[in-house]
Amino acid sequence: MSESTIISTQNLNLWYNEKHALQSVSMRIPQNKVTALIGPSGCGKSTLLRCFNRLNDLIDHVKITGEITFDNENIHAPGTDVVYLRKKVGMVFQKPNPFPKSIYENIAYGPRVHGVRDKGELDRIVEQSLRHAAIWDEVKDRLNDSALGLSGGQQQRLCIARTLAVEPEVILMDEPCSALDPIATAKIENLIEMLKEEYTVIIVTHNMQQAARVSDYTGFMYLGKLIECGRTSDIFEHPKEELTENYITGRFG
Amino acid sequence: MAEKFHTELKNLKKDTVAMAHFARDMLRTAVDALIRQDKDLAVSVVAKKDALRDMEVKLEDRCYQLIALDQPMAKDMRIIVCTLKVVSASMRIGRYGKVIANIVKDISDKPHISHMMSIPHMADLAMEMIDDSVKAYEMDSIALISDFSARDDTIDALRHSIFREGITHMMEDPKTISRCTHYIMVARYLERCADHACKIAENVHYMNTGERIEIH
Repeated sequence: MSESTIISTQNLNLWYNEKHALQSVSMRIPQNKVTALIGPSGCGKSTLLRCFNRLNDLIDHVKITGEITFDNENIHAPGTDVVYLRKKVGMVFQKPNPFPKSIYENIAYGPRVHGVRDKGELDRIVEQSLRHAAIWDEVKDRLNDSALGLSGGQQQRLCIARTLAVEPEVILMDEPCSALDPIATAKIENLIEMLKEEYTVIIVTHNMQQAARVSDYTGFMYLGKLIECGRTSDIFEHPKEELTENYITGRFG
Repeated sequence: MAEKFHTELKNLKKDTVAMAHFARDMLRTAVDALIRQDKDLAVSVVAKKDALRDMEVKLEDRCYQLIALDQPMAKDMRIIVCTLKVVSASMRIGRYGKVIANIVKDISDKPHISHMMSIPHMADLAMEMIDDSVKAYEMDSIALISDFSARDDTIDALRHSIFREGITHMMEDPKTISRCTHYIMVARYLERCADHACKIAENVHYMNTGERIEIH
């Protein structure tokens, strides 16, 4: 990977109680690229994703060793501002989870928490975020309607817009399309392609075709280990590891 | 689903090998008909062209269907890509068999010149290359194709020697022009068939390793 690295892990291990969920994971996430994590259920891909913005801190009995750096800073170093980290490393979940508020308030919530009070500035952020998430044209005439009235695909794009509103550098996506129909999925995939111009995207997906379509790099995980990581075209055309080959050709998983 | 896909992939390979053998037999029979000046045998080769075309279309359709419905990856994808190339190469080899068979009626009225020069030998070598490339495809083996570059050089040298020998005969006796021109053309067709075997070999290498090679 010749691109500059935004996130890297070095010998990362994670335990949930006795369960060794991530085992010596070392990888680099290139900036302004889409990196996909694939692997069978329970292989640790979501766990790894949640390490990148320390979301696993919220779970009891989790032990982490090894190093994760974001912008060359160790994110577990004492004094790390976790709120700032999660602002810079935003996340979109499997099921769209808009707040039970208006469309406008969903987007304005984050910037307000981070201190933006000026109405004009908030209006600008809301419009820009919704535009970047390719949903502005669909909601601009009903910004004060409840976000819960949107379709599933629109809600997911709203959640992406909500993430963009706090100006992240990295967007983590955990199965962002698995609750969506094919048309809504295609819109999210197009959006991911556009987002990488300004952001780095890391996506966990069980859908290998989706990983192949949207990502520049792919990491294949199995039983807590990162088996292989490389250019998506290499992984899907001629993977180096037999385990990767067997997984992506449907021989297991 | 994966099991159904892999069973179909296995059957696709088996039927592609059958087509390759069918095409190779067309070429072998055409060359035999040429050597023995057997017009009936030549006609039987020409009659097979529709069946060959039918196999090509059906196998290609099965490849397209597997791509569309199963979105194959890695070696599965490479097998299908290689299969499409084997089908095309076999089609060309069979068609050259037909073209050679069509020549038989034009040069069967007079005895051969100089035992057809090196054409029978060249045909044997080209046929062996076709057989080995198809076997390599069938068995997933790249060992069988490791010396293809040298074998292709031999084929090229034989074509050149037949060309020179043909020219010599034509200069000595203009009555041989028609037959020698046909010999030169047949040598050219056999060389192309060996090239198609090389193409199959290159694709078998890609199918098995994911790496591209070029056989000169």
